[in-house]
Amino acid sequence: MSPMTKKLGIYVCSGCGIGECLAANRLTEIAKREFAAPVVQSSRAFCLEDAELIRNDVAKGVVDAVVIAACSPRVNTDVFAFPGAMVERVNIREQVAWCHPAGDPEAQAMAEDHLRMGIARAAMRKAPTPYTEANERRVLVVGGGIAGLNAALHAAAAGLEVVLVEREARLGGAVARLRSQYPTRPPYRAPERTSIGQLIDEAQATDRILVYTGSRVVRVAGQPGRFNVTIARNGSPVELIVGAIVLATGWKPADKARLEAYGYGRIANVVTSLELEEMAAKGSVRRPSDGGPVKTVALISVDSPADEKQIPYAGNVESLVALKQAIELRTDAPERQVYVAYRYMHAPGQNEYFFKAAQQDAGIFLTRAAGRAVSEDGNGRVLVELDSTLLGGRQRIAVDLVVVGTGMEPASPEVEGLNLAYLQGEGMPVNRFGYADSNFICFPYETRRTGIYSAGCVRKAMDLAESAQDGAAAALKAIQCIELSSAGAAVHPRVGDLAYPEILTRHCTQCWRCTEECPFGAIEVNAATRTPQVNPNRCRRCGTCMGGCPVQVISFADYSVNILSSMVHAAARPDGDGAEPRVLVLACENDAYPAIDMAGVNRATLPGSVRIVPVRCLGSVNRAAVAEAVIAGYDAVALMGCRSGEDYQCHFIHGSEVLKTRMDNIREVIDRMALGPERVQYLEVAISEADKIPGMLNDVLAKARALGASPLQHAAE
Amino acid sequence: MNQTVVIQPDLAFKRAILGLDAGDFTACYQCGTCSVMCPISPDDDPFPRKEMIWTQWGLKDRLMHDPAIWLCHQCQLCSTYCPREAKPANVMAALREYSVAFHAFPRFLGEWLNKPRYLPLLLGFPVVVLLIVLAIIGTLTELPKGEVIFHAFIPFIYVETIFVIAVAFALIAGVVGAARYWRGAPQASDGAEGAMASVPGAAWTVLRDILLHREFNKCIEKRVGDRPSYKTHVPLSHMAVFFGFGGLFITTMGLAIGIYVFDFFPPMSQSHPLKILANVSGVAVIIACLVFLFRRVIDKEKAGKTTYNDWLFVTVLLLVAATGFLAQITRTAELPHVAYPTYFVHLVLVFFLLAYSPYSKFAHVFYRPAAMLIARYREARNRAAAAESAAGGVRAAA
Repeated sequence: MSPMTKKLGIYVCSGCGIGECLAANRLTEIAKREFAAPVVQSSRAFCLEDAELIRNDVAKGVVDAVVIAACSPRVNTDVFAFPGAMVERVNIREQVAWCHPAGDPEAQAMAEDHLRMGIARAAMRKAPTPYTEANERRVLVVGGGIAGLNAALHAAAAGLEVVLVEREARLGGAVARLRSQYPTRPPYRAPERTSIGQLIDEAQATDRILVYTGSRVVRVAGQPGRFNVTIARNGSPVELIVGAIVLATGWKPADKARLEAYGYGRIANVVTSLELEEMAAKGSVRRPSDGGPVKTVALISVDSPADEKQIPYAGNVESLVALKQAIELRTDAPERQVYVAYRYMHAPGQNEYFFKAAQQDAGIFLTRAAGRAVSEDGNGRVLVELDSTLLGGRQRIAVDLVVVGTGMEPASPEVEGLNLAYLQGEGMPVNRFGYADSNFICFPYETRRTGIYSAGCVRKAMDLAESAQDGAAAALKAIQCIELSSAGAAVHPRVGDLAYPEILTRHCTQCWRCTEECPFGAIEVNAATRTPQVNPNRCRRCGTCMGGCPVQVISFADYSVNILSSMVHAAARPDGDGAEPRVLVLACENDAYPAIDMAGVNRATLPGSVRIVPVRCLGSVNRAAVAEAVIAGYDAVALMGCRSGEDYQCHFIHGSEVLKTRMDNIREVIDRMALGPERVQYLEVAISEADKIPGMLNDVLAKARALGASPLQHAAE
Repeated sequence: MNQTVVIQPDLAFKRAILGLDAGDFTACYQCGTCSVMCPISPDDDPFPRKEMIWTQWGLKDRLMHDPAIWLCHQCQLCSTYCPREAKPANVMAALREYSVAFHAFPRFLGEWLNKPRYLPLLLGFPVVVLLIVLAIIGTLTELPKGEVIFHAFIPFIYVETIFVIAVAFALIAGVVGAARYWRGAPQASDGAEGAMASVPGAAWTVLRDILLHREFNKCIEKRVGDRPSYKTHVPLSHMAVFFGFGGLFITTMGLAIGIYVFDFFPPMSQSHPLKILANVSGVAVIIACLVFLFRRVIDKEKAGKTTYNDWLFVTVLLLVAATGFLAQITRTAELPHVAYPTYFVHLVLVFFLLAYSPYSKFAHVFYRPAAMLIARYREARNRAAAAESAAGGVRAAA
């Protein structure tokens, strides 16, 4: 259907205090008068029985584009879903009625403008045509360790086909080299045998799981729902198609050079915890120097935040491994004395009982210490100097064997991963610690490659139990991905979104900025036409590509520079009569917009001369859209988004950051119009900072006031 | 700062402490709440947190010369607040018991006092000695006739001789033990290197504090938090037993002086000041001991460490006072067949209490003052060192 033949239905709700603050009848008037909408209704509660009114209108075919002026689009999404009709939400509750005094004329003007903008958008939106070609119900699990095995078993149990690829000759990963694990069953006091053998047997016995050992993934191309994967099995290639991928390649021991300061390498009787584990698994722990018996052992943790050579963070794995090894060393030889010198002792959850069991063993001596120097005495024993101990200052112990913690590093997803045939590179993007990058707070399994989920120690250093759980969880995410991708819907965070970027290639200048700025590598370059080509299922619909395009040739069916432009011009033109500056706020939907909503929920008082438009991500804000707003006479344009930086909050990785670099471009455009580039302001706000919103908006107004009214406000006259 | 010494856990020692009703110390995870709660823990050398980890590491030498174990007055606030129920108060008490046996001179007596199977032997010794005396006098086979007069049963000269020797022996052994403890102290507490500066009047202040029960009172005055310590009765009850025992001691000395200097012949009349003192003191001792025993019986958990060593001391002390009263009463009631044996038992028990004092829980009379003296010296030395460095700083600035 074309925009002109849209059957608009405008529904203005006056419940939840809206009617007490605003004159709803004036809103319905505008809908009838200015937009000649065929259906205009009002109610005290469209979310309750009156939802039926809307349903009937849609069912009768009278309305195919529903505009609901009521609560925030973030709520009642299930109530206001009408199959067969497009739904546009206009926020006149949280962001208008709830944050202004009753009868405030500024609030009324704001509500009216919000309605105009919403109707304009509804009129211009197109129904998307989903891409449904990619629907392979098969999961590729890379890595046959405890995380990978669990992922494979869970995916198979849910009814999907699974391909499990393991680089070694046998399954089991690092866990297969361990003698035992710390307890998983009451009373949680003694180490247990690992369950890896059972998992391997189960995986091999499950028909739906196809196991390739001694194999590597050499190429991954395509997109979620249809990844074209090439596996090298003992050198010869195997081609497969899978719907989603779980990356569970695990960990490798950290660089041993960092252990030199603790005698590793120069003193024979200093070993790593993994080496001790292997000695113990083989049945006897002896001094490496002369094969003599080990009567005293020191397990020392070597992390030291001040030392850059060391790993800058610690977790519970080191503590629990030390406890386990201490208990086992004693069980093997009850006359042994074991020292555990820890920097931190983390024994979370039920592991507290394990810690107590170690404490209760009279032959285990625990102290917090920062390990200092390791040397040999004349009699072949190793001397360890411990600093900052609980015993009082510096202490020295003499032992037969010293065990230093093996650090864990992810089996680099950057390098040892999937060999992605993506324009942005064959490795997975990693964060500053070398782990697969993701929005850690909200979406820990997601990586920056849609459809590829990391699990286990390649995602974060963790223990067996957590790795097992992680694998299962990643499998569930993979299944979710396949289900949604088959329908052409975005997986996250815009779950179910069917529209994807469309490129008007004939006007494309082939600058390829979109291919570079896309956080997810969704855009490739078509070899023949040399123009960008979107892989719809890789896309997370953030619109960063749209925001960066210098010639504005990228758009979504329901979100584009044109649509934003229309919205901005649909609102009443600022005419300079108002006492307050008129500000257009473009607020990102994941952080800034919810924060403003919450300010309203808390009944904070917000300025009435702002117009708030949600954008998917500040990355999607094109300089042309900002220019339109300035041309429309706004005294200022405020771009509000999430916090950028190392601990970023952006659901689309780097929206605010991209916009910040783009600000120069944006300001340059405004400058060329001699309108004052300072009229475009950039603000960062976290979703939890609703209390700061009134201050921030008032600040924006103050700056705009200082600049004076926009010279374009009387231009029309 | 023991940089050159390699520490060596003593597992036998650790197990020994575990066996002295202090089996929970392995739970300690060094949070330090105990040291914070302790009202008498000094700021420069707090306890009992470090004693807990030293015990976990079996560092016997350090602990055997640690002043802290005898500075503790067993108020139990630490155990009341310990989040792990590791019972630091029990550990301190166990360390004291071990320390007494460790420093005992001769060593074997220290061991014997802690083992029930040697009780017959230990009691048997004074019994045999006194029986020999009775045999010499002739009262072994035949009790004296007529009015009950204990001097007729066992003449004073024998009593005085035996007890003077016993007490002298105990004093020597006690001082030797305390000296062993003292000598080890400088290297035991970190930061106390070199000779300790002598402070005039330190001994006097310690004596004064002991008499005024200052430490005991600090334990209940400076209480923090709102959980009640179980031992709020201790200042009063210890004062009772302390001054009660002192009173009995003065009485005995007074009586001896009376007999040998003033030709006085006991028994004293009930209105004699010394007799009044004796009776009041005896009652005080009995009440105090009953309080101690009662507390241990009605709530073993809160009473803290309770081993054979603890029961023995309180019981013997109680029986000493009780047999004393019983002897007095039965003498006054002219019941020779009860009075003389009771007097005999009384003498045996007094011998046990005094002669074995350096080896039983009674040994605290030697060790606690020694520890308090060490603490005073250390305080004074730290003050001097601080003043010197401040003066040096001033000079440098000027």
